[in-house]
Amino acid sequence: MASGKNQNVLLFRLVVLGCGLGPAIILLVKWLFGDMGANPPEYVVHFTGLTGLTLLLATIAFSPAFRLSRWVGFMIARRQMGLWAFFWLVMHMLSWMGLDQYWDWPWIYQEMLELEYVRYGAGALLLLIPLALTSFSRAPAVLGWSAWHWLHRLVYVSAALGVTHFWILTRADYLLPGTFALVFAGLASFRILDGMIHRQ
Amino acid sequence: MPRYRYPTIPESEVTPKALFESRRKFLRGSLSLGAAATLAPGLLLPSKGFAWQEVLENRLDGKLPSHDWAGDEELTSVSDITSYNNFYEFGTGKRDPELYAHRLETDPWSLSLEGELEKTGIYKLEDILKKQKFEERIYRLRCVEAWSMVIPWVGFPLVDLLKQHGLTSRSKYVVFEAVYDPERLRGQRRSIIEWPYREALRIDEAMHPLAFLAVGLYGEPMPNQNGAPIRLVVPWKYGFKSIKSVVSIKVVEDKPVTSWEERNPEEYGFYANVNPNVEHPRWSQARERRIGERGRRETLMFNGYADEVASLYSDMDLRRFY
Repeated sequence: MASGKNQNVLLFRLVVLGCGLGPAIILLVKWLFGDMGANPPEYVVHFTGLTGLTLLLATIAFSPAFRLSRWVGFMIARRQMGLWAFFWLVMHMLSWMGLDQYWDWPWIYQEMLELEYVRYGAGALLLLIPLALTSFSRAPAVLGWSAWHWLHRLVYVSAALGVTHFWILTRADYLLPGTFALVFAGLASFRILDGMIHRQ
Repeated sequence: MPRYRYPTIPESEVTPKALFESRRKFLRGSLSLGAAATLAPGLLLPSKGFAWQEVLENRLDGKLPSHDWAGDEELTSVSDITSYNNFYEFGTGKRDPELYAHRLETDPWSLSLEGELEKTGIYKLEDILKKQKFEERIYRLRCVEAWSMVIPWVGFPLVDLLKQHGLTSRSKYVVFEAVYDPERLRGQRRSIIEWPYREALRIDEAMHPLAFLAVGLYGEPMPNQNGAPIRLVVPWKYGFKSIKSVVSIKVVEDKPVTSWEERNPEEYGFYANVNPNVEHPRWSQARERRIGERGRRETLMFNGYADEVASLYSDMDLRRFY
């Protein structure tokens, strides 16, 4: 029985691995077959950004999924998913700096000054750095459980900034950013309600 | 200044759907008859449906005068031009126009010329095309999204058409309207912007020799995704001013409100001149990515056409009238 459960957790961790590596394979295949359209830098920047934000929201969803299902696999794989989200958001930033701005730091600085959504995106990523750094197994014990939990609630602030970043850069069609905003609002509401109920 | 609203058509004047559909069936029937006629000369029936395409193809066969207005810059490949563009009538993705534009029916096509003109009416496209002197014009195209292309258009100056129809003294603005057919144009099923797409020029802009009506590119009839059968090209303005698949040209006295201006007036002004000095909240306008090229290049004032068009705006503050 116990080994069966472990097998499920292992399987789930493989699914999470697939969520993290799958997009890289898709991107690689698209690149090899020249299937990125007429503006490959734009394609890569959009692809990495969408992947990162999707995985970030998926990470946040693991906690309510655990609350509702009581299946421990979600909690075990959460950190792994979070790190994949961080990885893709770092790739998003690097592809923007390298493929879109050609590592031209004055340009990058200029875009930061001029475009509000670039600042929101940069803020979202900066907030995730302390979370990624304190994601090793012994970190909660080192920091203290309470401090660690408080620190990792920054993931909500980061996701909110990320969704805002996507919203602002959208020109006219809000279907996709609207979906992200709704999902985030649902997850944040669940977290707040859950916190209120369990405190009593 | 009163805000121009495009007149709405009263319900009583709308063609009932059944009648519209039967007309389409009739046209399709006459087309197949036309095809039969070419196979069996004894049945001689004119293939009415494809009249403008015939006019166009006959004209494209001959050597057209070509004018390079892009200064020997490398032409963007035909595959990039036809697979990467904005044509929200087919969806908001850059590839959507290529994927879905085949549903647009372009033949027969008529163009309505209305308003402050001496000769108004609804004209068959072939009748308009027959009167024009075609030429090829190589222009830079700069999108507000900070990408650009160099495209060899085929067509004729807008001013020629306006002069043929006689401008009156009250001609101040020219309003263009694009095709509206939500059944075939999937992008029009959602109100991303208010359909049909509407653009406009001030009369002196419309009369400028660079303002062009294009019916083809790379010496071929215009691909659907690039605005078949007839579209506007205003090379010194951001791409969204160059309205595609035009069905109506109306000359008016009062300043109209264009689709993008209506959607977001803070970002999309009436003039939309390419201007590296006027910032935009979504894309830095100082530089652009030439499709097919590595790196970025500096954006030129009026997209490089300042010598030709700057005088149109000499008394205007282009930060206010963006």
